Amino acid sequence: MKGALGFGGITLGFMAAALGVLTMGVGIHRRDGRIMATGRQFVFMVLLGAVVAAGAMEWALVTHDFSLAYVVRNHARSTPLLYTVAALWGALEGSILLWALVLAGYLTVTVRRLRARASEPLVAWATLVGLVVAAFFFALMLGPANPFKATSGLIPADGLGPNPLLQNHVLMAIHPPMLYLGYVGMTIPFSFAVAALITGRVGEGWLLETRRATLVAWAFLSVGIVLGAWWSYEVLGWGGYWAWDPVENASFIPWLTATAFLHSVVVQERRGMLRVWNLSLIIATFCLTILGTFLTRSGVLNSVHAFSQSDIGAWLLTFLGLAAATGIGLIAWRGDRLRTPGRIDSPVSREGAFLANNLLFAGFAFVVLLGTVFPLLVEALRNEKLSVGEPYFERMTVPLGLALLFLMAVAPALPWRAASGEVLRRRLGVPAWIGALTMAACAVLGARGVAEIAAFGLGAFAVAGIVRQYALGVAATRRAAGVGWPGALRRTVAGNRRLYGGLVVHTGVVVIAVALAASMGYTTKREFHLTPGQRVTLQSHHFTYLGTTRHQTGQKDTVQARVRVERGGKELGVYAPALSIFPNAPGGSAIGTPSVRTGILRDVYLTLVASPDQDGRITLGVQLSPLVVWLWVGGGIIVFGTGIAVWPARRARRRSSTGPDPLDPPAPPVPSADEMLQEAPA
Amino acid sequence: MIRRVLPGVALAAVVVAALVVGGAGRSHPSRAPSVRAHAIAAELRCPVCQGLSVADSPSPTAKAIYDDVRRRVDAGESDRAIRAFYVGRYGEWILLRPETSGVGALVWILPVTALLLGVGGLALAFRRWRRQPALAATEEDRALVEAALAANEESR
Repeated sequence: MKGALGFGGITLGFMAAALGVLTMGVGIHRRDGRIMATGRQFVFMVLLGAVVAAGAMEWALVTHDFSLAYVVRNHARSTPLLYTVAALWGALEGSILLWALVLAGYLTVTVRRLRARASEPLVAWATLVGLVVAAFFFALMLGPANPFKATSGLIPADGLGPNPLLQNHVLMAIHPPMLYLGYVGMTIPFSFAVAALITGRVGEGWLLETRRATLVAWAFLSVGIVLGAWWSYEVLGWGGYWAWDPVENASFIPWLTATAFLHSVVVQERRGMLRVWNLSLIIATFCLTILGTFLTRSGVLNSVHAFSQSDIGAWLLTFLGLAAATGIGLIAWRGDRLRTPGRIDSPVSREGAFLANNLLFAGFAFVVLLGTVFPLLVEALRNEKLSVGEPYFERMTVPLGLALLFLMAVAPALPWRAASGEVLRRRLGVPAWIGALTMAACAVLGARGVAEIAAFGLGAFAVAGIVRQYALGVAATRRAAGVGWPGALRRTVAGNRRLYGGLVVHTGVVVIAVALAASMGYTTKREFHLTPGQRVTLQSHHFTYLGTTRHQTGQKDTVQARVRVERGGKELGVYAPALSIFPNAPGGSAIGTPSVRTGILRDVYLTLVASPDQDGRITLGVQLSPLVVWLWVGGGIIVFGTGIAVWPARRARRRSSTGPDPLDPPAPPVPSADEMLQEAPA
Repeated sequence: MIRRVLPGVALAAVVVAALVVGGAGRSHPSRAPSVRAHAIAAELRCPVCQGLSVADSPSPTAKAIYDDVRRRVDAGESDRAIRAFYVGRYGEWILLRPETSGVGALVWILPVTALLLGVGGLALAFRRWRRQPALAATEEDRALVEAALAANEESR
């Protein structure tokens, strides 16, 4: 019954998407606004279909409907409600369903927002492209990834339950939807980019339409990546948060190209340049999300996350090829319209810095992509097996990351067009000294490692620049408007949300960079064999093994070791790292659950490596990692900054109340002819 | 002239000094056996895990390999010989950092080449831009701007 309902929803979604594509196509061909308006309505039907299908699946999961194969594989009667609901995205078919649902949601919001302009060619084509993508994902569920396949043979009394790793932490319920909101959101700018190429309106219109959607998707993707790292840290028990696992990389590569895009669009808005580049970046970002889905969901990799295998790979690869070919073909076809007359006067300028930023981000994305697919390519082409792992990625990406950190410190202070030595000294002198003195202080205080010290210094440099920029802006507003500091701060930010929100995002990135450098450089790790009552010491932390307890629930059998942690005579608490056996899971796998004492300066990370042997002796893993918590805090700051940037500006207030921004006077997007304005004598 | 350059030189000196002092502790790691063993283990793939290194993995197999590496270090085998032994046993696959020879070299060469091409391309573009005359405002443009500004003033 639920299976039929769900499959009905998928069929409805597919039919609506396909009919929507047809109707939009006819409407565009005949230039008939009424037909286009009808075509637009199909988006709501797509959403309805997706909601019905996802609802049916959740209903089946919650009511233990084991007549569906998906429920049998990913749910058991003993599964807690949270993980029951989360089972929707625990495996291949369900995650495609989630993808379709999120895409339908994004399309609905976009179409509603632009409802007055449904018959404009750009909007109409973008709707059509979005519906094509939706049709593809619904077709996947009609074909190789049907979530509502019936159980073959007898209907079992109980299911297998989710993969043990997926029912161990509440983050598992949040991280995948965040990632999907980010991934799928990139379809919207992609649709508008393709529409811009098809209609030949390759100016700035499509960028402005999708600016907010892109930022929102980017923020979700950032959160998804950070939460994924957090989950890995809290659950997997190896003490790290990022293993350069292909599945992690698959979410990181589109983030890199999307970040490059967010920066380079500023150059196009301001100077009308880089049109081809921006179109290429957003098309590449979309293709990389499809590639990521292929890598994670086709079973082509053997990694922690590739929980499912199916013949869906060929479909995704074909779609990826079509999307890439469409993008490249359209850019080649529109080549003549994409040429722009502008020029960039000096590499030492805001736009020069944006170019360098894009070069570095593109290089970064290329390194990660190459490292991820290289073993697959070598195996496919030469039938040899080799690995590309953390040592490679670290060697390649640390210099790129430091260069980006340097740019982040310098670029926001650079003026457009060209910077004189005098301007550089005035704007960057103090922040640069703060950075240099931070490095010196670190070295004197005993910090070791070139990359670590460079990261701390560059981070201080960047933050000092950001503080300076805020201080100058607020001071100017205060003088101009005659209000107090809090009011001036609010008005300054409201006057240029993108700039000041962006600077907050930068602060979050600095926080993450510093936390990365500290935790990668200065983590101490040790293993101890302990009998009850025994006490050991690591870096002035004392650990006393108190004993073990055993819990048996329906789904797992857990051994917990209780360990008292003290530092400097002060008790920090009793922590309980555990090892669980999941008898239901195929192979009855053992999963360690670390116990982490999160601290502002350092985390104490305890793992139970081995349960008590016949002498009652356990193996306890102890790890002291500095500043790890700041990784997650940085993620929060990034979200906060993005929130400032996308918050709708109130126009009336904006004009009347803010003083001039001394560093970056808010300017409307300047088409290339208007550049002359700036050269005309005042 | 000297007065203008001096602060920059001083800044650079502080940065370089800090990095040299900070780097000194790392570039001469005591080649203590435990440090060597850890460095080798960090570049060997744990055969039963999903992409974790022998040094990172908590699995018993990784432990056994780690201990074996340590034994070999203590027995006086060179880093290269230990790696070679594991490559002989498991194949190139065991190395998390691909060799710089053979097909694995591509994964090192390609990004560097791409980055150099990008830098070169940008340098060429800047050269072309510098030669290209800047657009200058004509009388007509100025008149348009003035008119627009005047209209804007009035509307306030």
